[in-house]
Amino acid sequence: MLASRIRGGVHPAYRKELASGQPIETAPTPERVDIPLAQHLGVPATAKVARGDEVAPGDLIGEATKLICANVHSPVAGKVRAVVQKPLPGGRLCDYVEIQVDREATDAHIWERQDIDLDKIDQKWVAATLRGAGIVGMGGATFPTDVKFSPPPNASLDTLILNGAECEPYLSCDHRMMVEHAEELLHGMLLADAAFAFSRLVIAIEKNKPDAIAAFNAAIDALGLRNAARTPVEVIGLDVRYPQGAEKVLIKVVTGRTVPAGKLPFEVGVVVSNGQTLFALYEAAYFGKPLVDRVVTVSGEGIERPKNIRALIGTPVADLIQLCGGVDPATTKVIAGGPMTGTALPSLDYVVTKGLSGLLFLTQSEYPSESPCIRCGSCVEVCPMGLMPLKLAAYAKAGKFELAKATNLADCFECGSCAWACPANIQIVSWIKYAKNYIRVKGL
Amino acid sequence: MSTNEGFVLQSAPHAHGRSSIPFIMHAVNLSLIPAIVISILYFGWHILGLYVLGVASCVLTEAVTKVIRKKDWRTIFDGSAIVTGLLLVMILPPSITPIMVILGSVVSIFIGKEVFGGLGQNVFNPALVGRAFLSAAYPVALTTWTEPNRVFAFLPDAASSATPLAGARFEGQAESMLRMFFGQTSGSIGATSVLFIMIGGLVLTFMGIVKWRMLVSFFGTIVVTTGIFWLIDPTIYQDPLYHLLAGGVAFAGFYMMSDMVTTPYTNRGIVIFGVGAGLITVVIRLFGGFPEGVMFAILLMNSVTPIINRYVNNRVFGAEART
Repeated sequence: MLASRIRGGVHPAYRKELASGQPIETAPTPERVDIPLAQHLGVPATAKVARGDEVAPGDLIGEATKLICANVHSPVAGKVRAVVQKPLPGGRLCDYVEIQVDREATDAHIWERQDIDLDKIDQKWVAATLRGAGIVGMGGATFPTDVKFSPPPNASLDTLILNGAECEPYLSCDHRMMVEHAEELLHGMLLADAAFAFSRLVIAIEKNKPDAIAAFNAAIDALGLRNAARTPVEVIGLDVRYPQGAEKVLIKVVTGRTVPAGKLPFEVGVVVSNGQTLFALYEAAYFGKPLVDRVVTVSGEGIERPKNIRALIGTPVADLIQLCGGVDPATTKVIAGGPMTGTALPSLDYVVTKGLSGLLFLTQSEYPSESPCIRCGSCVEVCPMGLMPLKLAAYAKAGKFELAKATNLADCFECGSCAWACPANIQIVSWIKYAKNYIRVKGL
Repeated sequence: MSTNEGFVLQSAPHAHGRSSIPFIMHAVNLSLIPAIVISILYFGWHILGLYVLGVASCVLTEAVTKVIRKKDWRTIFDGSAIVTGLLLVMILPPSITPIMVILGSVVSIFIGKEVFGGLGQNVFNPALVGRAFLSAAYPVALTTWTEPNRVFAFLPDAASSATPLAGARFEGQAESMLRMFFGQTSGSIGATSVLFIMIGGLVLTFMGIVKWRMLVSFFGTIVVTTGIFWLIDPTIYQDPLYHLLAGGVAFAGFYMMSDMVTTPYTNRGIVIFGVGAGLITVVIRLFGGFPEGVMFAILLMNSVTPIINRYVNNRVFGAEART
């Protein structure tokens, strides 16, 4: 099936070639892990361990207490040094569980494969497995995945999309996962399909990753999925355009359905899941392994040897840098995530988290200041949501938050296309975030 | 690993496209080169002096105003004052005096742009404000037209193409159209040659700086409305092609209505502007007291642009299903 073109969007310099050819490398077990308990969207998990406690790999150290919340597990064997409050890169305070690692015991641990009867699993089982394993959206949004797979009783899900767009520049962790672990990702999809009996399983990949498309086609053959009796699995090559991988955008492109403003994808019967998230479901189901590691792309002009690294959650950024041969002193900006939506880090004192898709070292030397808006309409043209970004920025600047709200502020998902395209270099997304935060904190 | 302080902290996105205000403005300036060169060939070397004078006056006015307003005067390097200077000279008659160019430039930048707060704040197209001022101050000078030099030898000159034979009437008209297309006809300094305006203008259209919707709606409106009158009575009304080639329509479409600051930014708003400007132009041309109406059409539409921008919004993704 042919996919349609997204509305708006931009073509940033992709720079994926820096890391996309690097096979996934497993980082050595660190000596110490610092694990934030707010690695997901929503309420932080509650610490279940205290200073001096012994932990083993997979032990629950942070418990989900609310619906929009996620469990956090220890990736290592070791001893809890402390539970302390530290700021996350965005500035929000969060509990961190600091663990002194017993590397021998950690490396000796093996996740035993367990048998599953696909005929017996149901929707509740999938949701419980996801929730138990603390699985969240690993593309960066970190929304608790079990919530996505728990549609209300009146809704029914008919389509599962594996989001292999990876439209953010530089990032290639999903790309490498698809190339190297296509079969496991398919198993993740089949698990969900066994419970939900989807009518379509779609793997949506931007065409700049032909090896990933080929890997999936080969894996589909290897698993014998081209069988009329089974749910059809389609691999769709999408035209390259940012922000193709944004959930609502991708659903529109793949299914033609429009998720209503302010609503979740299950309203139109669709679940979109990142590849690594489905891999985590596969591991949780077949190995009882909670989400304790992930693949991170370490890239950018400021890193010696760009790589895709599988690292335990809580691994210090410094360890990854060492593995990649060090940082160029010309580095001016370090980003957690991709360049379009990621968070700039104030220092290298940070760790691998469930949502950390990339760690980028940028050497851009100039950061021009804002010029006046010339009303060129570039932001309007590129907005995938049909918003008026220049108005939102102007209202935020002027403190007119009611007007911003009335101009559909909440529908902006902060893809950054507008600010990328703005010739006046106005930090449109910054202003939009400011308005959203103001309304959230102070109300209207 | 020590904590390396001093990284740039900024909200996403951390990547930026190549577009910038100087890039857009200088693209416009460079795209004007064909039309500028042909205007010098048509009307003489003193035209080059007028361009230099217009640009220098505009840039200097902006710098002085910024200093008086205690703002950063280095905005003169963004290229927008150069655009205004060039455009103003291009829409003045070839016999314009240097002093009028200076006055027009000062008014364009000071009244047309800086009193509103500078680039991005002005309501009216600055070059048109300057021209409107000059046509009020010097009505005779602004309606005195000179014949251009003969640059394209293959084009018949105006005198020889006149023929008493009724059968040649059509042919004579075709020749006059051809002269207008090449710009070998009397008119404003840089606005006569449709061909050379189009060369730069289409490059800008390809780059997205000139919006194709604006061109289609403006030129389309002129063709359709003048076409209707022409069909009603071809002995009174000129045909649509004539209206497209004559006067400042082509120049206005490509270079006056592409001023982003004073025209709408949504696709639908752009079409409203183009249709409105086209209708007003035709009404003034056919029924008004002036032979040319493009300048007033654009200034009038400039004045309603803020209203268009306020009320014409895009359809928000998924909004129709919002509950």
